[in-house]
Amino acid sequence: MAATLKGVLQGSLADNVKNSKILVVGAGGIGCEVLKDLVLTGFKTIEVIDLDTIDVSNLNRQFLFRKEHVKKSKSQVARESVLKFNPDVDIKAYHDSVMSPDYDVNFFKQFTLVLNALDNRAARNHVNRMCLAADIPLVESGTAGYLGQVTVIKKGLTECYECQPKPPQKTFPGCTIRNTPSEPIHCVVWAKHLFNQLFGEDDPDQDVSPDTEDPELTAEAGQSALQSEAKTDEIGGIERKSTRVWAMNTGYDPEKLFNKLFRDDIKYLLSMETLWKKRRPPQPLNMTQLPSDTDGNSSAIRDQRQWSVKECANVFSDCLGQLKKELATQGDGGMLVWDKDDETALDFVASVANIRAHIFGIAMKTRFDIKSMAGNIIPAIATTNAIIAGLIIMEAIKILSGKIKSCKTVYLNRVPNDRNRLLVPCTLDPPNPKCYVCAPKPEVTVVVNCTRFKVGALQDKVLKSYLGMVAPDVEIDDGKGTIIISSEEGETEENNDKFLSDFGIRNGTRLKCDDFLQVYSLVVTIAHVEKLEEEKEFEVVGDLSELQPQEEQQQAANGSKPHNGGDKADEKEEEDDLMLIEEEEFEEEQQRMEEETRTTRKRKASSETEPTTKRSKTAEAQAAAGDNDVIEIS
Amino acid sequence: MTADTKEENITEDEAALYDRQIRLWGLDAQRRLRAASVLLVGLRGLGAEVAKNIVLSGIKSLTLLDPTVADEEDSMSQFLIPRSEVGKNRAEASLERTQLLNPMVKVTADTSNIDDKDDAFIKSFDVVCATGCGTTTLKRLDRVCQEGAVKFYAGDVFGFYGFMFADLGTHEYAEEVKKPKHAEKNVSSEEEGEPSPKKAKVEEPETTTVKKSMKFPVLEDALGAKFDSSSSEGKKKLRQIPNTFFITKVLLEFLEQQKRRPASSSLEGDKKQLSNLRKQTLDTSGVSDNKMPEDFTEYCFGQLSPVCAVVGGILGQEIIKAVSQKDAPHNNFFFYSGTDDGGFVTSIGS
Ligand SMILES: [Zn+2]
Repeated sequence: MAATLKGVLQGSLADNVKNSKILVVGAGGIGCEVLKDLVLTGFKTIEVIDLDTIDVSNLNRQFLFRKEHVKKSKSQVARESVLKFNPDVDIKAYHDSVMSPDYDVNFFKQFTLVLNALDNRAARNHVNRMCLAADIPLVESGTAGYLGQVTVIKKGLTECYECQPKPPQKTFPGCTIRNTPSEPIHCVVWAKHLFNQLFGEDDPDQDVSPDTEDPELTAEAGQSALQSEAKTDEIGGIERKSTRVWAMNTGYDPEKLFNKLFRDDIKYLLSMETLWKKRRPPQPLNMTQLPSDTDGNSSAIRDQRQWSVKECANVFSDCLGQLKKELATQGDGGMLVWDKDDETALDFVASVANIRAHIFGIAMKTRFDIKSMAGNIIPAIATTNAIIAGLIIMEAIKILSGKIKSCKTVYLNRVPNDRNRLLVPCTLDPPNPKCYVCAPKPEVTVVVNCTRFKVGALQDKVLKSYLGMVAPDVEIDDGKGTIIISSEEGETEENNDKFLSDFGIRNGTRLKCDDFLQVYSLVVTIAHVEKLEEEKEFEVVGDLSELQPQEEQQQAANGSKPHNGGDKADEKEEEDDLMLIEEEEFEEEQQRMEEETRTTRKRKASSETEPTTKRSKTAEAQAAAGDNDVIEIS
Repeated sequence: MTADTKEENITEDEAALYDRQIRLWGLDAQRRLRAASVLLVGLRGLGAEVAKNIVLSGIKSLTLLDPTVADEEDSMSQFLIPRSEVGKNRAEASLERTQLLNPMVKVTADTSNIDDKDDAFIKSFDVVCATGCGTTTLKRLDRVCQEGAVKFYAGDVFGFYGFMFADLGTHEYAEEVKKPKHAEKNVSSEEEGEPSPKKAKVEEPETTTVKKSMKFPVLEDALGAKFDSSSSEGKKKLRQIPNTFFITKVLLEFLEQQKRRPASSSLEGDKKQLSNLRKQTLDTSGVSDNKMPEDFTEYCFGQLSPVCAVVGGILGQEIIKAVSQKDAPHNNFFFYSGTDDGGFVTSIGS
């Protein structure tokens, strides 16, 4: 019966609601609320897909789940729960990734509407492409703390999710992490790198030893440091062997590791005197002489109490023992994957980050705070999710009323703007004709050094991670049709370690890249340079460069609109965990981003004159909201 | 933090359950929440949303109060009442599902009419939130709450429209404000000429907590506000008032006069009645015809679930804000209209 009761929904709307078929992508915080609203409003045919299982930290807002459901499938439990609200609904639940090839364009074509309740950019990109390919309207959404937004994407009518460039990856220069940390996050990043160096996947970008190529060091200084290194004993100085091999050889001996990492390497850093002319020099620690005083924070919870350096060292020792055992169970060549919800892995990072912070005179943090930083946790609450879900359904209702042109991007602010708006509707923009996804013939330029960039990196870092393809096929547009990357397993793996130049790829070479699942073809033009700035391996430019986001727009919350900064999917470490989970798992986000977001929005909201975005260019937008209403979650 | 709440430390279980919200509003706010007792009057769709939101947040106790019985219309937004319970008392029928949302909150049902409750009962709560009530009831609740220093909220949803009203008397709260950045002890890396990516700003901006206070107008003054559209001052003031305020007034007046809500079963008659009330309300408020769209009667029947979610989300968050005494509350109305995506915070009656 629901809202299809007489007099509630007007005209044919009640029937359109009843007869529609809806796909909900994600059954987390927003997804639970969306499903509730759908079954109550009279939607009859719903499918929901989510890869994730239920965690205890979901229960404060994902109200379809209870304690006894922990570890069960979100989509399946959500289905059972909302069927109790309305048993007359046909709901199908998939415990799966929406990026699986099972959900191809024909799967998407069966729906009237797709509602995204996602938390990560990779899945958003993918669903965006699938909805464009299937030509099905998509309602996109996102929340971060008190903030949220909803928007509508329709092929040919509005911007797609990827029409505006995303903010660049949030990274820290290697020399800051390795040599001159100045903030707690630098120590947390270093601690995570150390975890991977000791137990996880070996990534040369995550070296934890002192960096002699620090641009601050003059050639001479670096050289003299190198010489002094030669004089130090075999444990001190830069370890030429991999950290992993060395640590294994010591049997992960806590004292040896401690003294190398926190005494000898620090002494070595001190020998790079230029670094400390204007900085507080770090103070090497000896494991047998550690300060044990704390700040008198007597909170009963272990997470909330500030550990002393001595306690940190003890935790560090214990963790080494446990992680060593865990690693051994993985067998030869096995490795551990850092996970914020693994108690030992988090303890390790919390203790290491704090010891390093102490050495560099940086504020130490509680385990609770370090979990936020290391896990990039976005705080999440029931009320914001409920509001955003409600707004999603309201946009869906407009689409089903045949009024898609009156759909809006709606932002939920924390405080009303100067026009008293707490919810700020903004007119939808038309597609960007130069979008590398929804343009009729998408093109993009990738800047690399062809003699140093490998085919494997082109596939993983450029096409998959940056450009959002799932299973690319790449052919050189050289008249011969040389295939360098194939989505068929086993066909081109041997190419991965070869350089682009090995295939005759050089400045101006055009690559035809296809993703069969996404029904997406992209022409990539290679621009060859000897060296990119800031140690970058590649850069995507061309038409995109004209659309570089403004700085403010880069400060993103987990919004759904690309130009508002969106989420920062490309930052996070745990890409694999992330396919379909919801807002709580914005691994790629930092808690503090929400703070920044809030500031930006406040600033924008309070500015009477500032032309906020390109949105304000249309008269309609101004009529709808006024240009100072145009606030980005960005 | 005051001494009494400090003693009650959050347990490890609570810390795990409330982890994601503690990361947003902090431990002190969570401690205050779990000391709060709330009375929720009216268990239709909006009441269900408010109940869900505040029970999930971890208050101490919630009393569900409603003397009426569930009917067919509940199926479009009242997810706490099983469909098999149509004809049963709304508060009692909502009890089980509300409790399941969070076993740590004490939830009780009361089938009385709020008008029959004495002042002492009302004053025994920290927060009173009244939904689905007429103006006489609301004004009395507001008056009693102010006498007893109880935080008072009212709200309702009519079809695509909804509102929230808050009277927190004189409300004291803490707000974090940014401190101007001082030069740091360590020489910052920027001065060193080291690459300093803008995004790599990590330390949360330095903030300091300041105590503030805010005064709220009473409901009587808010609903009785007159507008003088002849003066330019009055016109300016009127422009700040969203149309939904006047739509709300019409619907509250309907409730008051008919002692019931507009209903599908009497659709045509009720629409006529609402159109008449529209004219009266515009006249008595002293505002022109364009302040209220004539076709609002097409959009004000039932309680649309997504509208309950929006208004119940705002209302729930405002209750959490007031209880935790953190951040500036919305003073004193929130209006939502699903016909144009408008969501306004407006101060009326001060
Ligand atoms: Zn596009």
